[in-house]
Amino acid sequence: MRLKLRKLLDRALTTCGYLAIGGMALFLLWVLVPVFTKGFGAYVFRGTVEHRRMMVGEFGRGDLDRLRAELAEVLRVRETVYQAVAAFERELDAMPAARRKALKPAFREVREGVSVLLGPEPGAPMPALTRRLYGQTRWEKAREKADDILFEETWVYSDAGSRRVLVPRAPQFEGTALAPVFTSLERDLAAMLRPRITVYPRFLTDRSIDAHFFGGIGPEVLGTLYLSLGALLVAVPLGIVAAVYFQEYAKEGPRVAFLRSCVNTLAGVPSVVFGLFGLAFFINTLHVSPGKSVLAGALTLALLVLPTVIRASEEAIAAVPRAYKEGAMALGAGRFRTVATVILPAALPGILTGIVISMGRAAGETAPIIFTAAVSVGQMVKPSEVLSQPTPALSWNLYNLCTEHEAVDELRHVQFGMAATLVLIVLALNLAAILLRARIARRLKG
Amino acid sequence: MLLSPGERMRRRLAELAGRGVLFGITSVAALAVLAIIFFIARDALPFFTQVGAREFFLSTEWYPAHQPPRFGAAAIFAGSLLVTATAVLLAVPLGLFAALCMSDVLPFGVRQVLKPVIEMLAAIPSVVYGFFALTVVAPLMQNGGSWLPGQFEIASGVNALTASLILGVMALPTIVSVSEDALQAAGRELREGSYALGATRAETLFKVVIPASVSGLFSAVLLGVMRAMGETMVVWMASGNAAQIPRPWYNLLQPVRTLTATIAGDMGEADQMTGSAHYHVLFAMGLCLLLVSFACNLAGEWIVARQRKRLRGG
Repeated sequence: MRLKLRKLLDRALTTCGYLAIGGMALFLLWVLVPVFTKGFGAYVFRGTVEHRRMMVGEFGRGDLDRLRAELAEVLRVRETVYQAVAAFERELDAMPAARRKALKPAFREVREGVSVLLGPEPGAPMPALTRRLYGQTRWEKAREKADDILFEETWVYSDAGSRRVLVPRAPQFEGTALAPVFTSLERDLAAMLRPRITVYPRFLTDRSIDAHFFGGIGPEVLGTLYLSLGALLVAVPLGIVAAVYFQEYAKEGPRVAFLRSCVNTLAGVPSVVFGLFGLAFFINTLHVSPGKSVLAGALTLALLVLPTVIRASEEAIAAVPRAYKEGAMALGAGRFRTVATVILPAALPGILTGIVISMGRAAGETAPIIFTAAVSVGQMVKPSEVLSQPTPALSWNLYNLCTEHEAVDELRHVQFGMAATLVLIVLALNLAAILLRARIARRLKG
Repeated sequence: MLLSPGERMRRRLAELAGRGVLFGITSVAALAVLAIIFFIARDALPFFTQVGAREFFLSTEWYPAHQPPRFGAAAIFAGSLLVTATAVLLAVPLGLFAALCMSDVLPFGVRQVLKPVIEMLAAIPSVVYGFFALTVVAPLMQNGGSWLPGQFEIASGVNALTASLILGVMALPTIVSVSEDALQAAGRELREGSYALGATRAETLFKVVIPASVSGLFSAVLLGVMRAMGETMVVWMASGNAAQIPRPWYNLLQPVRTLTATIAGDMGEADQMTGSAHYHVLFAMGLCLLLVSFACNLAGEWIVARQRKRLRGG
């Protein structure tokens, strides 16, 4: 009996372990699957004719003649809607005051909805905002907007909570000149917008137009590259030198123990504190730039990844077989020459692993760059401006777009596209590190 | 090889100079942390002299923009504490079981596959976790009344529980990898001795391996605490940012505000704020975070050193 219980407990432990690990793997999937599937939608989607019009208008890309032909056909279908709206406006003026008052707000919403869905009516004055120049560029968004015209959203409150109810608008306008709008929107939406599978790889490099309503995430990607490469440019030489010193030169003693413990402590500093330090030191004390800049951000990030670089390099140097070093010494090489020509080359793959992982870390960090480098809206920063200009960056702009942006719900596809791109960059770097490590392990074994 | 005295002297000098340069550069890298303390403290001190520590630590009235401003951060400290504690409570058992399983149960091949999974979990940027919390977890939480047992009033999907859940997951990789190393370090002999006495695997783990590696496990927990406490983006995006102590205090379904999120959120207008009390109070918060992380670090190093001494002595 007692033995049975002991065996049962043993089983229970194993099960708990498997559950914990399975839970972790499932969570990883739960995060990655939506980010990647929806992020993919920023690159491949059903683009409408408005997307092609925007591409020609803003980027000068696409076949102009074909677009003209397409627009002519589309306009023929849309004409029903425009005529109905114009006719109803005249009809409205002739209505009795009470009925006019009842219908006018709904009519306004419909007219507004039509212009959001299809873009400004031909011949109407040009809107000031670029986002109003074009209709819906993505088919799934267009269907949502069409539903906004066809149905009125109301909320029903009860004890069980609130519930969203969609009330069709068409009955309200039964028998008026506006009625054809609803039937034709329901029947001919595809003909009005001509959705087609669109591959948009240049989402990665295109500039953003009107705060990400159109275009891509080029400035953010570029900013992330500047920041992470800049951080490495500072952290890698410092880190390798420190690692060489710790491994090859330092004699263990209180002084070295103190330096080591400083490096460990640096690794534990919260990332937002790095941001505060960057602001207080690089910007407010050293004045490396008049305000936020790529330079200040890169320096801050360099400090953040420094412990990682030092540790990885130390491990790589420690893993170099002693025989290499002794052989070099026996040949009469001094210590410096041994390090430079034998130890560092042998440790290089290991050091590279650390560098690649640090780059991923620097690319993904947000808190340290908020006060030192990041801006919400910005265009591509030229290489000559990195010393003085702030930059958008994937991590910060993802935060900004999904919390502070004026149209958070409209731009979900851009947010997911950014998140997927950022995760892809970071995971690709980590994968490179894993492969490098596997290669080292193989080489050491064989 | 014989060298002339002059040549030997030259080489010796070069060696010394090289060592000096290396030491100098290493010191710069290592002493950065002292610079961090200095500059954070320098900008935090004016707050304590102008406003005083009493209001900061004891009052819950956080109205930095009012006239006169009030800087009572007690609720914010409580928020940080609540979120961190919940995250660690969630992550530690899960992480320890996963580490046990990885070090003693799973075959070597499976472990090789799982390591990258854990690394990936650690590599995903915190802002992506925050985005995930906001777009996937928060809506689920919002409709939570229906799938959670009992009657809950969930005002908003962004609350202490959402933030803690995600923070817990983010602390997991640290806890798992550090405690797995600790468990591995306990060595084969101990395990085989225990098995030879007829103990089951669970008994070996709980009565022999875990006691032997308890200091390593403890430092894993400390690192997890530090990770959860210092995390900014997730709590900023998913905790609701209301500077209040939940009522009752353990009610995780209410929004809270943490130190890191306050720093990140309030420093937005830093350019115009430099020098104001609001600017300095954020540095005071940064200083508190810094001190707590130092304390955790020192505690971790002390435990490891003590363990090493005990092993050497015994």
